[in-house]
Amino acid sequence: MASLAPTSTDDRPLLEIRDVSVALKTGKRTMVSGVSLDIRPREVFGIVGESGSGKTLLTRTLLGLQDDAFVESGRVRFNGEELPVAGYAGRARKLLGHSIGFVPQDPFSSLNPSMRIGKQITEAIYLAKGWPMGAERTREAAISLMAEVGIPEPALAFNQFPDQFSGGMRQRIVFAIALAQDPKLLVADEPTTALDAITQRRVIELILDRSRRHGLAVILISHNLELLRQSVGRIAVLYGGQLLNVVASGDIGRSTVHPYAEALFDCIPTREKTLADIRSIPGEPVGAGFGLRGCAFASRCPYVVTACTTTDLPRNGGLTPSFSACILGRGAP
Amino acid sequence: MRYVGQRILFSILSLCVLLFITFLLSHVVSGDPAIVAAGPNAGAEKIAAVRQEMGLDRPFLVQFWIYCSNIVHGDLGTSWFTRQPIASDIIRELPPSLELVFVAMLINLAVSLPLGLLTARYAGSKFDDIVRLVVMAGAGLPIFWLAIILQQVVAGQWRLLPTAGRLGFENRAFTGATGFTLLDSLMQGRLDVFADALAHLVLPAFALTLLFTAVGVRITRTAMISEFRKDYVVLARAKGASEGRIMVRHVFANGATPALTVFGMQFGWMLGATVLVEEIFGRPGIGRYAVKAVTQSDIHAVVAVVFVVGLVFLFSNLVVDIALFLLSPRKHARA
Amino acid sequence: MSVLRRLWAFPKSNVERTAIVLGCLILLLALVGAFLVPFDPMKIDFRAKLQAPSMVHWLGTDGSGRDVLSRLLYGARLTLASTFAVIIVVVIIGCTIGIASAFIGGAVDNMLMRLADIWLGFPPLILALGFASALGASLEAAIFALIFSWWPNYARLSRMVTSDILSQKFIASADALGVPTHRKVLHYIIPNAMDVMLIQIALDISAVMLAISGLSFIGVGAQIPAPEWGAMIADGRSYVSNGWWIVLAPGLAIFITAVSFNVIGDMLRRELDPTSRRR
Repeated sequence: MASLAPTSTDDRPLLEIRDVSVALKTGKRTMVSGVSLDIRPREVFGIVGESGSGKTLLTRTLLGLQDDAFVESGRVRFNGEELPVAGYAGRARKLLGHSIGFVPQDPFSSLNPSMRIGKQITEAIYLAKGWPMGAERTREAAISLMAEVGIPEPALAFNQFPDQFSGGMRQRIVFAIALAQDPKLLVADEPTTALDAITQRRVIELILDRSRRHGLAVILISHNLELLRQSVGRIAVLYGGQLLNVVASGDIGRSTVHPYAEALFDCIPTREKTLADIRSIPGEPVGAGFGLRGCAFASRCPYVVTACTTTDLPRNGGLTPSFSACILGRGAP
Repeated sequence: MRYVGQRILFSILSLCVLLFITFLLSHVVSGDPAIVAAGPNAGAEKIAAVRQEMGLDRPFLVQFWIYCSNIVHGDLGTSWFTRQPIASDIIRELPPSLELVFVAMLINLAVSLPLGLLTARYAGSKFDDIVRLVVMAGAGLPIFWLAIILQQVVAGQWRLLPTAGRLGFENRAFTGATGFTLLDSLMQGRLDVFADALAHLVLPAFALTLLFTAVGVRITRTAMISEFRKDYVVLARAKGASEGRIMVRHVFANGATPALTVFGMQFGWMLGATVLVEEIFGRPGIGRYAVKAVTQSDIHAVVAVVFVVGLVFLFSNLVVDIALFLLSPRKHARA
Repeated sequence: MSVLRRLWAFPKSNVERTAIVLGCLILLLALVGAFLVPFDPMKIDFRAKLQAPSMVHWLGTDGSGRDVLSRLLYGARLTLASTFAVIIVVVIIGCTIGIASAFIGGAVDNMLMRLADIWLGFPPLILALGFASALGASLEAAIFALIFSWWPNYARLSRMVTSDILSQKFIASADALGVPTHRKVLHYIIPNAMDVMLIQIALDISAVMLAISGLSFIGVGAQIPAPEWGAMIADGRSYVSNGWWIVLAPGLAIFITAVSFNVIGDMLRRELDPTSRRR
C-alpha cells in the first residue's frame, strides 16, 4: 500500500513543538529531551519508538493527560496559540474536546463499561458543541457517525454496551467519539496494537480516509515501523527519550536515514528481503530518561565513534521536513 | 430473570439452614427447656406434663417439623418472661431498631460516598491524608463509649438534644400503624412528633454509624481509586469532560457497585450493633430485648431473635443483590 | 525473618511511628501489666470510692473504691488475651478451610465460599447473644461466638491468595517435579499469603477488641466485676455524672489500642499489598 497521506501545502504549522523536554513529577527526572517537531494541517504524521522510548509519555504530556509528568521546558504552539510551560496541562486540556482528539491505546478498557455507546458518543458531541441541535438531532448525528466509521446497524448499536462489541468495533467506537468532536488534530496512540492484522488495516484506512475527506491532521503513534511506513507521510523516530530522526516514510529503506531507523527497518521482514537481510539490533533497548551525554543509541550503533557519547546531539532547529540527530550526519538532508 | 430466581432460591435454602441451626440452638441449652418453662417450683410430674405439652418427648425431626410449621403460622413460641407470644414481642421491638439502622445507614451513605469519591480523586493530597487520619480514629471508637460520651456531653451538659428515649414525654403515648415512628408521624400528619422522633434519633444514629461510616469511606475510596485508574477515564478527559462530570457520571456508577455490596453487609452488622446504643439511650429495640432474654435465660426468645435477624439479613442481602443486578445487568451477569 | 527486617523500614510518618510504639507498649502491658499494679484491682473499699484522679490514684477510683489504673492494667490482659485468642484460632481455622477449599476447587470450593460470604454478613453480636444463652454469659462464650463469626474472613482471604498462586505457572513446574501438597502449602502458599494476612490481622485486632469489649459491655462477655475494659465501662456507667474518669479511662484505653492497630494495619497495607499503588 503506497503512502496514502496527502502532502500538506498549507504553510502555517498546526502544532509547533520546539525543544520540549518532559520530566516526571516525582524526582524531576527528565525522560524526553529536546524534541522539536512541526505538524502541518491535514498532515498524517507517525511517531515510532520501542516500548519505553517515551513516545506515549511525550504525547500524553503534551496533551495534558499524563498526571505524573510535566513539560519541563520548551515551547508549544497549537494553531498559533502559545501554551506556556507554567500551568501547561490545564491549558492543553482546554484544547481537548474540540480542537484535539485523542484515542488511547486499549480499546477494551477505553470505554465506560456501564454506559451505552450511543450515550458516550452523544456526550462527546455535547462536550464539544453543547446541545444546539437538541437531543434528537444529536442522536441522529451520532448514529450517522457510527455508520461512517463502519459500525453495523448503528441505530441498534446505539443502545448497546461496550462489552457487546469486538475489539475492532470498539476501536471504531472510540474513533467515532474522537471524530464526533470535529477536531483539527487527532492523536491515536497505538490504535492497532490490540487488533488482528486485517482489522488493523481497516482501522488505518478509516483514519486516513477521514483525514482526506475532512482535512484532519493525524498523529499515529506505534512501535510498528512497517505499519507507519505504509500509512503516513513523515515519521519521527524516538529512542531513549531522544528524537533521532524525522524522515519521509518513502525514504526508509531507500535512502540513508539515521542509523537507528535503519536498524529498525532491518528488523522488519518484507517481501523484498531475504532471511539474510533481516538483522536484529544487538544489546538491550535504552528507555526514556537516558541521562548521559550524547546519543542514546550509541551503545548499539554499528557506526559509533567516540564523539557519539561526548557531543551533544543536534536539535531540530531548522525544522526542515526531514531531520537526523546523527553526529556523523547520517540521514541528514 | 434467571439470576433473580436463583438468588431467591438460594435465599430460601439459606433460610431453611438458618431455621435448622436456630432450632438446634434452642435444644443445646444448659438446662431442660421443660424445666425452665414449668417454672421454679414445679415437681417432676408437672415437668413431665409440660414436657409433653411442649412436645419435647417426640422425636427430634418431628419437633423440628412442628417448629417450622409454627413459624410459618407466625408462632415463634412464648416468652416466659414477658408472658406474651414472642412474635408480637418482636413485632413491637423490631421496628425501632430498623428505624435506627435506616437513619444510621442514610448518614453512612451520605458521608461515605462523596468522601470516598473525593478522596479517591485527590488521593495523596493533604485532604486525603486528613480524611485518612479521621477515618482511622473513627474506626477505633467503641460505639458504646461514644454513645455514653455523646449522651453525657451533647445531651447532658450542652442540652442540644434529648438524652434518652424514643419520643419526648409529651408524645409518649403516640402509636402508629407501622411501628416506625418517623413513618407513622408523617402518615398522621403530625410533624411535631416527626421532629421529636428525629431529635431522639440523632445521637443514637450518630454513635452507631461513626464506625461503619469510617469503614465505608475507606471501602468507597478503594473502589473509586481503582476506577480512576482505568482507561475510560483518560478517554473521558480527552473528550474534554470536566473532573466533576467524570466523577459523577462515569466513575461513581462503576465504582459504586462493589462498594454497595459492603454497605449491604453493613446493614446487617449495624442491626446487630443496635444493642450497644439502645441500652444507653433507653430506646426500645430488638437488641435490648435479646439481651434481656439472655439474662433471663429465655431461650425461645433468643432463638427467635436470632432467627428474625437472620431473616432480615438474608432479605437485605437479597434486595441488594437484585438491585445491583438490575442496575448493571451486563457486569453482574459476567461476574 | 525478613518480614521483621522489612517492618523496621515501614513507618513513614510520625503518626505511624507513634502507633507502632503504642502498639508495642500495649502488648507489653498486656503481658506484664498484672504485675505492675500499684493497688489490688479487685479489692473493694467503700471509703475510697469515687475519688478523682490524684497523685495517689492516677486514674482515680471507681464506685467500689477500686483503683482504676490497676484495674486497667490488670484488665489489659483480659481484653487483649481474648482478642488474640479469637484471632489465632480464627486464622488457623479460616486458613485451613480456605486453603483446602482452593486446592479442592470446583463446586465444593464455590459452595464453601458462598457459605463464607453469607456467614460473614451475619451480625456477630446477635450470634454472640445466642451463644451466651446456650453457654451462659461469660468471656469464653464471647470468644467462642466471635470465633464462630469471624473465620470466614480468613477463609476467603486465604482461598483467594491460594487460588491466585495455584493458577500461576510455577505451580505447574512444581507439579512436574512431583512436589507433594504439604510442601506446596508450606513453601509456596504460606510465605506469599503472610503479607495479606498480616494486614488483615492488624486490622482485626482492632475490630475484635471492639467486639469483645462491646459484648462485655452489654453483659454477655466478661462479667462484672472482672476488669475487662468493656465491663469496666458498663460498671462505671452509673457513676458517669460524678465519676467520669471511670468511664473515660477504659474507653480511652480501648480507643488508643484500636486506633494504633488501625494505623499499623493501614501502614502494612500500603507497604505490603501489591495491588495498592504507592501514594
